[in-house]
Amino acid sequence: MRTTISHEELDSLVEPTRLHKRLYTDPDIFELEMERIWGQAWIFIGHESQVPKVGDYFATNITHKAPVIMVRDKEGKVHVLHNRCAHKGAKLVENRQGNVRGAFRCPYHGWSYKHDGTLIKIPNEAGYEGTGFDINDTCNNMQPVAQMGSYRGFVFATLSADAPDLKTWLGGAIDCLDNLCDRSPEGEVEVAGGVLRYEHECNWKFILENLNDTMHPMVVHQSVVQAAKDYIDSLPASATRERSEAEIILPFGSSYENFEESGITGFPYGHHYDGGKTSIHAKYTVMPAYHEAMVKAYGEERTRDIYSFNTHNTLYYPSLTIKTAVQNIRVVRPIAVDRFVVETWSFRLKGAPEEMLQRTLLYSRLINSSAGMVGPDDLEVYRRTQEGLESTASDWVEFHRQYGKDEQQADRVVGGGTGDLDMRTQYKAWKAYMSGEVFA
Amino acid sequence: MSDIDIRAIEDFLYREAALLDRPDLDSWMQLFTEDGTYWMPAAEDQTDPLNHISHMYDDRVMMEIRRRNFVHPRASSKDSGVRASHLIGNIRLAGKTDRGDLKVTSNFHVVLWYRDEQRVYAGTYEHHLVATGDGWAIRHKRVNLINPEAPQRTLIIYL
Repeated sequence: MRTTISHEELDSLVEPTRLHKRLYTDPDIFELEMERIWGQAWIFIGHESQVPKVGDYFATNITHKAPVIMVRDKEGKVHVLHNRCAHKGAKLVENRQGNVRGAFRCPYHGWSYKHDGTLIKIPNEAGYEGTGFDINDTCNNMQPVAQMGSYRGFVFATLSADAPDLKTWLGGAIDCLDNLCDRSPEGEVEVAGGVLRYEHECNWKFILENLNDTMHPMVVHQSVVQAAKDYIDSLPASATRERSEAEIILPFGSSYENFEESGITGFPYGHHYDGGKTSIHAKYTVMPAYHEAMVKAYGEERTRDIYSFNTHNTLYYPSLTIKTAVQNIRVVRPIAVDRFVVETWSFRLKGAPEEMLQRTLLYSRLINSSAGMVGPDDLEVYRRTQEGLESTASDWVEFHRQYGKDEQQADRVVGGGTGDLDMRTQYKAWKAYMSGEVFA
Repeated sequence: MSDIDIRAIEDFLYREAALLDRPDLDSWMQLFTEDGTYWMPAAEDQTDPLNHISHMYDDRVMMEIRRRNFVHPRASSKDSGVRASHLIGNIRLAGKTDRGDLKVTSNFHVVLWYRDEQRVYAGTYEHHLVATGDGWAIRHKRVNLINPEAPQRTLIIYL
């Protein structure tokens, strides 16, 4: 299906302080987003630590129409290839992860490919003789994505040959990926402890808009904060009140003033984070054994510097959001205009005590699980928004907060933590991508 | 194990299931020992609730917070009521745990009614039971979904 929505029409859907509801409800807009945003931006694929050995692969989707494989070859190089046989088009791997010993072998006619995608063998090849078919033509290989890039183990791919290199695209927001890795005494992180997959029955943009919407936590998460607080208050004075769960849950009830103070910072291509000097993760207990390892690796001053850059959520628009201070990430995978899956992955800080990973996993379970007490209330409001936007009462949603007050700096825009700077940042990118000329 | 009355064990599991059917979390929690835990792993054959992610892993403190949250008027995901029907079968005595608790395994099919929709969950339970003066208490309940790695939808209640 080829959609025909003119540039003028697309442009009219995003005003400086209002968005048209079609952005969330129109399947044609969704298809165009997949083509022009997800089909051009650098999309997070996975982390190199997910494919440690030769032949290890991790399969995922860039969009609902672009299944890909991240795989490590004999030389240790990581590739991102389309998960499609060059012959008839069958997907070569079906499992999300695994190991292919010698070669990818198509389950249909047995074409086999090296780990870098080069076609090695076609069964009964003689039948191609004299037909003009050339086994050495690269069009018969598993196709690589237009570009792939890796930064400190985080592997991204883009379907656009015109996209600038990964580092340029990440821009100033790269500081957060650095900070996440620097929180390891060895400067390296690795995926650990499995994944949570959470199905969301709504448009993919809701979660991106919610990340740094700091006007929502004290409303949406009031119940769990109060439940935790009331319970702790009900304990006898002798009882121990210090629970990691409380340290994680209670800051979701932080005041408007606290969130305002944490600030929001926006970058080109839609990236943004809230926090910096402080965030709702800033008051976590520093475990003594971890601190010791950090000081040994970096010295006291650099260690303090690393801790003091404390962000809440960083969005690498549109597919990846990371929590540097928690060491987990969420990956967005759109499926349809009203459906997407969020994956939560946790990271081990190499050289840190295992208690750090356990806290990360505790956070992922408490906050991001589909059976938690935080994520489900977020999804509930997205879902209600998805249904409410079908209403004919109005065609628009608004985002005026602190409009006109953002401060443009050299490579970034900064503003108050309770403003809509995050919205302005991502919808500026939305317009640029949807125009088709974002990298022109 | 010949001295264990399996009918009494079955009856205990059925009563527990009936409390979750309502759901009556206040009474359900009281079935657990003070150090009792509830675990829903996120991977098949998961060995560890702390070094690997789980969908749920609650001790009595977290159960207490969850119970309060469940009835909180501002927990919008709980605005839609939830009711369940638990069917438990294949109940077997599976020996003793390292701590000497009675290990009981079973299969479950649960249909949940939530947001005007019925959802199906299936898998196996593993109960670690402690004998009390007048019956049994749960030291540990493990819920093995048949699809723990699949994308999950919101689950607002214990299974």
